[in-house]
Amino acid sequence: MKIIVAIKQVPDRDSPVHIDAAGKWIEESDLQYAMNESDAHALEEALQLRDQHGGEAIVLSAGPERVGSTIREALAKGADRAIHIVCDDLGARDALGVARLLAAAAKQENPDLILTGLQSEDLGLGQTGVIVAELLGLPHATLILHVEKTGTGIEVKRELEEGWFQTIELPTPAVLTIQSGGNKLRYATLLGIKRAKTKEVRQLAAADLAVDAAPVAVLEEIGLPKKQKSTQMLAGTAKEAATALVEKLKFEVRVL
Amino acid sequence: MTLLFPTLAEPQQFSVAERLLFAGLAVASAYAFWRRFGVVLDKILKSKKDASFHLFPIGKRVRDFVWEVVFQAKVIRQRPAAGLAHAFVFWAFCAFVLVTLNHCAGALGFGFLDPAGTIGRFYFWFAAAFALACAVGILGLFVRRFFIRPKWLGEKLSWESGVIALLIFVLMATFLASFFVNGAGTAVRILWWVHTLALLTFLPIVPHTKHLHLLLSPFTVFLSRGSFSQIPPLSGDEDFGLVAGTDLTRLVSLQAYSCVECGRCTEHCPAANTGKLLNPKTIVLGLRAYLNDLGPASQEPLLGKYNSQQAAFQCTTCGACEFQCPVGIEHVPILVGLRRGAVNTGAWEDDYGSKLFLALERGSNALGLNPAERDKFIEKQKLPLFDGTQEYCLWLGCMGGYDPKGREIVADFARIMSFLGTSYGVLRKEKCTGDPVRRLGNDLLFQQLAEANLEALAQNKVKKIVTICPHCVRTIQEDWKEYGTPPEIEHHSEFLARYADRLPRVQNQEKIAFHDPCYLGRYRNVYEQPRRVAALAGEVVEAPRNRERSFCCGAGGGLTFLGEETGERVSQVRAAELAATGAQTIAAACPFCNSMFRDALAARGEGAPQLLDIAQLAARGLPRPDAS
Repeated sequence: MKIIVAIKQVPDRDSPVHIDAAGKWIEESDLQYAMNESDAHALEEALQLRDQHGGEAIVLSAGPERVGSTIREALAKGADRAIHIVCDDLGARDALGVARLLAAAAKQENPDLILTGLQSEDLGLGQTGVIVAELLGLPHATLILHVEKTGTGIEVKRELEEGWFQTIELPTPAVLTIQSGGNKLRYATLLGIKRAKTKEVRQLAAADLAVDAAPVAVLEEIGLPKKQKSTQMLAGTAKEAATALVEKLKFEVRVL
Repeated sequence: MTLLFPTLAEPQQFSVAERLLFAGLAVASAYAFWRRFGVVLDKILKSKKDASFHLFPIGKRVRDFVWEVVFQAKVIRQRPAAGLAHAFVFWAFCAFVLVTLNHCAGALGFGFLDPAGTIGRFYFWFAAAFALACAVGILGLFVRRFFIRPKWLGEKLSWESGVIALLIFVLMATFLASFFVNGAGTAVRILWWVHTLALLTFLPIVPHTKHLHLLLSPFTVFLSRGSFSQIPPLSGDEDFGLVAGTDLTRLVSLQAYSCVECGRCTEHCPAANTGKLLNPKTIVLGLRAYLNDLGPASQEPLLGKYNSQQAAFQCTTCGACEFQCPVGIEHVPILVGLRRGAVNTGAWEDDYGSKLFLALERGSNALGLNPAERDKFIEKQKLPLFDGTQEYCLWLGCMGGYDPKGREIVADFARIMSFLGTSYGVLRKEKCTGDPVRRLGNDLLFQQLAEANLEALAQNKVKKIVTICPHCVRTIQEDWKEYGTPPEIEHHSEFLARYADRLPRVQNQEKIAFHDPCYLGRYRNVYEQPRRVAALAGEVVEAPRNRERSFCCGAGGGLTFLGEETGERVSQVRAAELAATGAQTIAAACPFCNSMFRDALAARGEGAPQLLDIAQLAARGLPRPDAS
């Protein structure tokens, strides 16, 4: 199985977020970057499929030079090789623009499967993977927790609302967007990092892919969420309050 | 006169047949000895060289050698009765080197000690005193092993120990008896031959059994890594820790063959004492069996048939085994080495372990919390930020920055520093020192954390650090050295003890049981300072196992982040021991111990003693924070 995993480098969760002077994006100077979480799960799914069925797992990432660190991390975790679409204007492109870049690069490889996270931690649009599928004319499924290879294609487990799941079959090649938490991530190892140094990272210039960069959607303004604290007191006896709390944790917060 | 001061009798002459027989037996004995000893030596010498080993400075090596080998101080101190008996046997062996050489040379006509001469008479008398002590000693050890049977010596009776004891006893008895026989008679000849046969049987048994320690352990002690629980740096691009036979270094192989199977490590091991699979002795013997069967060139994994991965990850790195070991085995670097081999290659799969690693790959703290939580604590507590003008950087650590109880300790310690007028500040950003991942064998992550922290400290121009966590102290001071020069650091117990005279005492009769944290005691040799601090608030009482024999809380070695799912909980065993002192308060000096005991004491329910850090005890006498 030849699997491409599209990975985005995003600002680290723990980094302080400040809005830049133009009010259109965040200050990038003191940011630290990390691999988008659902992309990490997509990578893990790809590695498990590769380990089970053979073939290769190829990392595909677009962005400036700094993206190299995330690519190396993916190679260290076990990806076989990588394609880096070098472009400094990722922020100026909309989801369609980014998907065009990814689709153009992926097309050259003729993969059996393209996996990516279901959404990015920074913009959270959740569109890129689906647009890639549309651009390549491939079937797709979203919110995938698990992928199984079948005789003719793949069988995937999708997460629906309210704790429901759906199992569907798809032919390959296909595009899947992976939900976080469906698999257990592996940790990076010293052996992996050392092996990663010898793995191929092919750099493609965004300009060479000859895709339309003009955005159809433009970011007008961004703002920090308002801090809101709403404390609810649960009345009644300890037993009643506990029951109410369990209800809330189950159905409102959905952590139980 | 002759009865009071008898002279050692020796056969006056040997026939040619006797000489030939002796020479033949001696050669056979030496051959049987070498056939095994040569193999062992070869396995040790063919092991990988220890890249980080330095013979110098040699002073400490000589001191340790004299103290531990010549004086047998560790052997005696940690097990007085058996230790003393052993020391007598050892000292007699030393005294007998000359006696034995003279004994063998005499048969060939080259005897150099004349029993009737001044020197000879004196020396044989000197040796006889040791022989007497040795005979008594070996009898005692025999009775202990075969009748008292301490469980640390293992379930199975070691017949070879019985044979060795018998041979040693015969050697001493025949020597002593020779003072009371006539030099011309048959008796002296019989004694001489029995002594000789015992000697020539003893020699080849040594390398075939654990008695090999009497040849190897002096070297093992002398050639130690140089300091307690020192984890050697990885060498070169293909070193991932102890993965296979090819990774065993000469020191590790020497140590594996030196083990005398006394079980002191097992006796003090928190894992072995709470029903876990891990037994440090078994780990060392597992390596020895590996070397015997496969040798140091094998690619077969070390964890598998010969040693268990599960066991290797049950070690709290408390170091009790290494501290106790009388033959110089360094268990912690071996156990951490095995873990490195498993983690650095990704062979170790553990949900809790992966969770910890992933939390530190992306985040800053081992608890996996948002660093904004630490900012909030700093703000709420009004802790000053370090700006380069203050004397100390107060290192919070993961527990001090994120754990509710750890924060209380930091808050009280900060109050004391302010009371004393010591200037301090905390770093705006701090990452985990890497202690848990270092001990779990994740070198990649440890390097990233150490380097990021070293850079932050250098940028902030930090000169001196003080912290409430002994794990941070150890990791910053010793383990970070691989990646740079860390600032000076001390534990808050050392700081507080220095100013104890300036801190107000609380007059009461409260009994306080102090628990020695492994990383403060055995790792740092700090025993008195925290007691001096605790004594500000009451009377310090001791748990049965204290100071260098302190029993771990169960948290170290990254284990606080893993699930302890087999056997009893280490923390509960120790908490019960501390509670049984009858003390109203248990004093800890480590936030990890504190969190372990917090849970263990809560499980004991009502009436459990209260648990406080020494800083909280020292702060009791301070004016209330809200008093104006």
